[in-house]
Parts: sequence; structure tokens; C-alpha cells
Amino acid sequence: PQSLLQAYAKFSGAPLTVNTLSSSWRAPKGDVPVLISEDIVISQPAKILNFLRKQKYNADYELSAKQGADTLAYIALLEEKLLPALLHTFWVEAENYCSVTKPWFSSKITFPLSLYLPGKMSREALNRILLTRGGPPLYSLTEVEAQIYRDAKECLNLLSKRLGTSQFFFGDTPTTLDAFVFGFLAPIYKVCFPRVQLQEHLKQLPNLCRFCDDILTCYFRLTVSGHSPAGQDTADANLQKLTQLVNKESNLIEKMDDNLRKSPQHPPRKLTTLKLAAGGEESSPLNRLSP
Amino acid sequence: AAEPWPENAALYQQLKEEQILLSDNASSLAVQAFLQMCNLPIQVVCRANAEYMSPSGKVPFIHVGNQVVSELGPIVQFVKAKGHSLSDGLDEVQKAEMKAYMELVNNMLLTAELYLQWCDDITVEEITHPRYGSPYPWPLNRILSYQKQWEVRRKMKAIGWAGKTLEQVLEDVDQCCQALSQRLGTQPYFFNKQPTELDALVFGHLFTILTTQLTTDELSEQVKKYSNLTAFCRRIEQQYFEGHDKDSSATVAARSAKRSLLR
Repeated sequence: PQSLLQAYAKFSGAPLTVNTLSSSWRAPKGDVPVLISEDIVISQPAKILNFLRKQKYNADYELSAKQGADTLAYIALLEEKLLPALLHTFWVEAENYCSVTKPWFSSKITFPLSLYLPGKMSREALNRILLTRGGPPLYSLTEVEAQIYRDAKECLNLLSKRLGTSQFFFGDTPTTLDAFVFGFLAPIYKVCFPRVQLQEHLKQLPNLCRFCDDILTCYFRLTVSGHSPAGQDTADANLQKLTQLVNKESNLIEKMDDNLRKSPQHPPRKLTTLKLAAGGEESSPLNRLSP
Repeated sequence: AAEPWPENAALYQQLKEEQILLSDNASSLAVQAFLQMCNLPIQVVCRANAEYMSPSGKVPFIHVGNQVVSELGPIVQFVKAKGHSLSDGLDEVQKAEMKAYMELVNNMLLTAELYLQWCDDITVEEITHPRYGSPYPWPLNRILSYQKQWEVRRKMKAIGWAGKTLEQVLEDVDQCCQALSQRLGTQPYFFNKQPTELDALVFGHLFTILTTQLTTDELSEQVKKYSNLTAFCRRIEQQYFEGHDKDSSATVAARSAKRSLLR
């Protein structure tokens, strides 16, 4: 969700400053990511997307009704097929968790939360996987794992077929669906794990890799080859984003509000005012979102 | 070479009149519609312990020859292995779309049905508990209901639906129906001329929602708002379920405690 929202904000041209919270409990109600604009606090990704849209930052303006419906369907596909494998790679796979996810997360949040929170998120991820996918006839964890990775690979194949050779999923301008797909794919693509079967599979689908790279270069101003000048910091920021991503399990379907289509819309424009705050530095509250 | 489909293929579900619940009925109807669309005869057999007989714990399941397969996804693949398929004519992008829409229906409609049945207290008290345990004597009926309810609520909590109110769930159903309606447009089926498993799945869920009497009509109202969806259901009902023998589940279901669309 955090990388998803940043991507969406960039696509629609909303000025957004990213505040990395070093403690999820500092966020109101303990939920991340959080959008603070003037006095309004919004905490769920779906509601944040709605809020951005109502403020007239709408990346889906050009879509037809059918494409809007397709967006919903593909998002459901991502959540159902790709998310369990993503959760597993980050939080349940023992090597990955111990060597990458947990140290990273612990270093970003304050003591004593760092002792408790990663374990809790890991347990929640495992719980979710087992409850939604673990029924009979799959009786052991390894069988469940095999199944979810099969599903994830199939999902990646389907996305690749749907993307084909076009630049974004609905033509030349990015939309909500692109933000969602990017939010799911970028962590798999960029983060270096010891056990990387999903990443290897993704690398075999060149159009999806190109899709991620395009968005990263155009909208996040990272260089494609190796690290950007603030190399370690951006890797940090990415990892922070992805930990928030797997933390959030809320339903991310947005409302198609017809009124919004009638309102004047600002075409997506390149951002000049974004800064990525890495490593827990305290920056000023989010800029006021004004049309 | 395709193996012949045996005459005595059977589909198992729970007891129609007293026991079966909204979500299970929807799934069962989807499978029946799919098999009718493939022109494969199947007999519907009702058993109180159908859930326990199923290899995956979910209904419906089919017993064909000496194989038992449950749930729509695996059944579609099984039927394909036998040489019958509805989606062969689709290209890759369309197949991707179809899978995505099927996930949408499962994600939204099925979960909403489960929520309504097991997490909405009024419905649970008045409909679900009495129906679910009805074939069994007291106290077994109460124990089984509570056990199932606990299981479903755990799952809802894991995916984040436990915190939703009924209004939010109905809104989600509305969005889903809107998406389906927009995708269907004015076509007879989702992929124009030929029905596919997506049509069967959507029919199963929407028909069940439209014709099941619950404590309130709100769920069916959400679907009724989209006239092309109701027309879609009526068309499939007429084409695939009328005129078959009286044992066909849809027409009997339509005559018994549930209302028919063609009134």
C-alpha cells in the first residue's frame, strides 16, 4: 500500500510528501499508511485513494466503464493469487525473514516494539495464508506453499499476457491498476532475498520487468542499473514501503464515482515537489492537497 | 482421446429444502450451470453430510466414474481433461480477463454471502443456525453450527472483513455488481456469443441471491439495480434449466421456499 499510494499519487500528480514513520503506533489508530491533510486524517488505503480522487487527483479519468470494471477484477486477482505468495516470501519463509525482513523492520522501529512487532506480523501473515488457502486436501505447510507459489506464478503469467507490449495496462497513461500492479511487483523485483523463486520467475517475464523499470525511472527517479546516488537510502525506503505493503490486508477496491468524472481534472503531471524521506527522519507534515 | 462421460455422474450437495445455505447453494448452482453448458448430464444428490464427504470440505463435489472432484475450479479442469471446455475459443488476454473476473466474484460475492450468513447476528439466529444443523438432533446441531461459525469468523478476521459493517459489505456487493454489469454491457454472455465458466459462476451467485429469502431484501436489491444482470440470469435459467426433468435443482428450488425470477 505505501508504494502503491506513492505510485498513484505520482500518476495523478498530487503533491505528496512521504513521511516514514519509525513507529507504527505513532500513527493515529496504529494504522499505516496514513494520509494527513490539514486536519483530516485518513488511514486506510482505499479511503486514501478516494480522498485523492475527490481532491481531483484522478488517474482513472480516461478510463471507460468497462476498463474500470476490469481494474476491479484484476485487483481481486492480485489479492487472491499474488498476495499470499508475497506474504510468504517476506514473512514466513524462514531464511528471508531472518536475514532480510526482520533486521530491516527492527532497525526502523523503536525498541521495544522491534522485539514484538515483526513476530506479530509474521504470525499474522502465516495465519492468513493458512486460513485462506490451507484447507484440505492440502494438509502440510509445504503443500500449501507449493500451491500458493504455483498460483502466484500463474498470476504473473496472466499479468504479462494482459500487459502485452503496451506501456501501461490501459494504454499510454498509468492508472490505478498500474499503481496496484507496481505496488505488488516492485518489492518482488527489487529486494534481494536469499530464496528468490518468485523473483526469478518475474525476471523471465520481460514485459513486466520493463513495466516496473519504466515506472521507477519516470516517477521515482531511480536509475535502472544498480543503485541511485542515495543507493542505500532508497533501498531502505523501498524496503520500508514493502513492509507496509505486506502489513496491510484491507480491501483495496476503489469506488467509481460518476461525479468525479464530470469534475474538471488535472492531467497527470511530473512531480517536482516530492521528496522521499528515508530512515525515520522527521519531516514536515504532508503538504496541503489542493486542486 | 476424450473419455466418455458416464451416465451416472452425480453432484452432491446438502439437503435442498432444509439445510443448504446461500453460499453453498450458489456454488452448487454454478457447477450445475457449467455442466449444463457443456452438455454433460449430471444428477443432483442431496445428502446431509455432503460437506464431510467432499475431499476438500467444500460443496459441491461431483462423483464421476471413480473420481471425486470438488469446487468449480478443479471441476472445470477435470472436465477439460475429459475433452470438454467452454473457454477454448478465447485468446490469452481474454482468458486472463476471465480468470480475473472469476476471482472478483469469489472475492466479493462469495465472501459477502459468507459474511451475511455467519457474521450478521440476525441472519445467523433466524436462518443459518436452524438450517445448518437441521438434520441432526440436539445438541449436535448447535455444536456443529457454532463450530462452523467460529471457523468462518476466523477467516473473515484474517482477511480483514470482520471489522466491516453490513452497509460496507452491501456497498462492496454493489461495486462488484456494477463492475459485472459494466463488463456484460448489452452482450448475451460475458464473452459475447458463447457462455463460459465465468457465466456459470456469475449465474450461480446472482440467481441464488435473487431468489433466496433472507431476513431482509437488501442483498437482492443490490443486484436488482442492474437490469442487464437480471436479464442475464433469466436468459440462462430459461436456456439451461427449463424443460429439463423436474429434478433439476434450479426449477425445484424456484418452486419451493424460494421465489422464481419468472413471475
